Amino acid sequence: MRSGAATGHQGCFHEALPYSSGDELLSVVIPFLLDGVAAGEPAVVALGAEGAALVRAALPVDSGVLFLPVDAIYTRPAGAIRAYRELLGHRVARGAAQVRVAGELPRPALGRTWDWWARYEAAINHAFDDFPLWTLCAYDTRHTSAAVLADVARTHPRFILPGDRHEISAAYTEPRTFLMENRPLWPDPVQQRAPLAELTDPTPAQARQAVRAAAAGLTAEACDDLVVAVSETVTNALRYGHPPARLSVWSGDDRVLVAVTDAGEGPKDPFAGLLPHQDSAPGGRGLWITYQACDHVATVRDETGWTIRMIAGEVN
Amino acid sequence: MAGNGTTARRDATLGHTCLTYDDPADFDTAARAFLAAGHAAGQQTWYVGNGKPQGWEFTPEVLAVAAHYPAGSVIDPEAGLAAYAEATDRARAEGYTGLCVAADATALVRTPAQLEAFARYEFLVDRYMRDHPFTAMCAFDRGELGADVTTELACAHPDSQAPFRLYADRPDRSGAALAGELDADTLTWFEHTLQRCDLAPAGGELRLDGSALTFIDHQSLLSLDRYARGLGATAVLRTPFASARRMAELLELTAVRVKDMS
Repeated sequence: MRSGAATGHQGCFHEALPYSSGDELLSVVIPFLLDGVAAGEPAVVALGAEGAALVRAALPVDSGVLFLPVDAIYTRPAGAIRAYRELLGHRVARGAAQVRVAGELPRPALGRTWDWWARYEAAINHAFDDFPLWTLCAYDTRHTSAAVLADVARTHPRFILPGDRHEISAAYTEPRTFLMENRPLWPDPVQQRAPLAELTDPTPAQARQAVRAAAAGLTAEACDDLVVAVSETVTNALRYGHPPARLSVWSGDDRVLVAVTDAGEGPKDPFAGLLPHQDSAPGGRGLWITYQACDHVATVRDETGWTIRMIAGEVN
Repeated sequence: MAGNGTTARRDATLGHTCLTYDDPADFDTAARAFLAAGHAAGQQTWYVGNGKPQGWEFTPEVLAVAAHYPAGSVIDPEAGLAAYAEATDRARAEGYTGLCVAADATALVRTPAQLEAFARYEFLVDRYMRDHPFTAMCAFDRGELGADVTTELACAHPDSQAPFRLYADRPDRSGAALAGELDADTLTWFEHTLQRCDLAPAGGELRLDGSALTFIDHQSLLSLDRYARGLGATAVLRTPFASARRMAELLELTAVRVKDMS
């Protein structure tokens, strides 16, 4: 039996915690964690360095709370989902009636790469719904834009507030609806330059060659991973998209951008890229790998078709 | 033990080259160069083709294709290898260092049954070459066979223009070498070639030397996983292409273990 506000709830109980001071954060997070420990529920912290230090100092010694390395967890959305599902699976297999997680995205995630973290926040309502998870997502309103806070309200069914208050989020939007919304790609100045390569209907091998030729500024690991992502994407475009498939490659001082456009409508699965493949989703596994091989991935539909843009290197 | 087959060819070809030609004259040009190297290394040289080598600086044994490979015949891989092994031994008994053959094998791969048998035969020959002084260039007419068939054959040679190569890097069946790039366009060839190379695990493992593997996609990794699992083995792939290891972890492969060489 689950304890606290999620008692009687099935699946993922997902709340946002907007806070504007350390005291406000602690007033919610400390009871959230200690009540969990008292109920025999695993209690996990994945807050940024500042918040984690505050919480650690406020908890009793040997509190039993698990602290996760937040930068490793929140590197890429699909990876974060995979890591959390593994953690939840282990805890539940050991008999946990509920797992409590206090999380907070690193500050750079609230900047221009927020779009894929917003998708993450929407997707986990579904992705973690087979686990008895109670998660609160902390957002420091001193460092969070109004636009991001608007997405937070749309992706969290509830807010948790000081004084053990839980409020329904009126703006909450069903994940499938949110994820299928068409968001324009944020403009990257590197795309103002002339592309280093533009190919129509390239073979995967030709696409890989174009990426390698542009990737001198990347680490070998980032280059190999981008090559994987582009190869999988071009394979999907040729196999499941509508011709023509067009590839463009740009190289900046610290990053490489690759866009692949086909004339189709893109994947119909709203969770494509964020969750492991589903057998019914063509190309889903390749797209899921792509999302974990790049430093940013975004997709958009427009009059020319469906575009996926992949970035390797510095994105923040 | 008749010595090291790569004595004459201590290079990346491993003494086993595949030529895919459009113009029959290209076969004669390549055969001349290939056999000249064998001749220089003291090997007996055999030309198995439709032309007549003339004006060469050495004189190979000339065997007509029709006589050596009767039209429509399906090669018996073991018998085919035994014949070349015997010829290699004979050449050594006659004072040569080994046997070097350039053969136009187009007539032996015209039907699916012929192709299947011949591709398996290639692997037997390849393994034999690793510790015997036998070298060969196998040539196929792309115009007659089509690029699909010739590429499938080229994949089974250490030295060819195929996008990937799966070949013997040792005389036994416990492993092989994998080179080049594997993706959706090569998947069918890869699956066929894996089946034909007839590996046998040692200690529950198939050792794959991927030191010259520069790309493998997730479908090919899954295919390798299925193949290894079918043999009740784990494929241990060593490669500098580090993304292979990360993909194998993401895919939670249980029958492929990637060791990073970078």
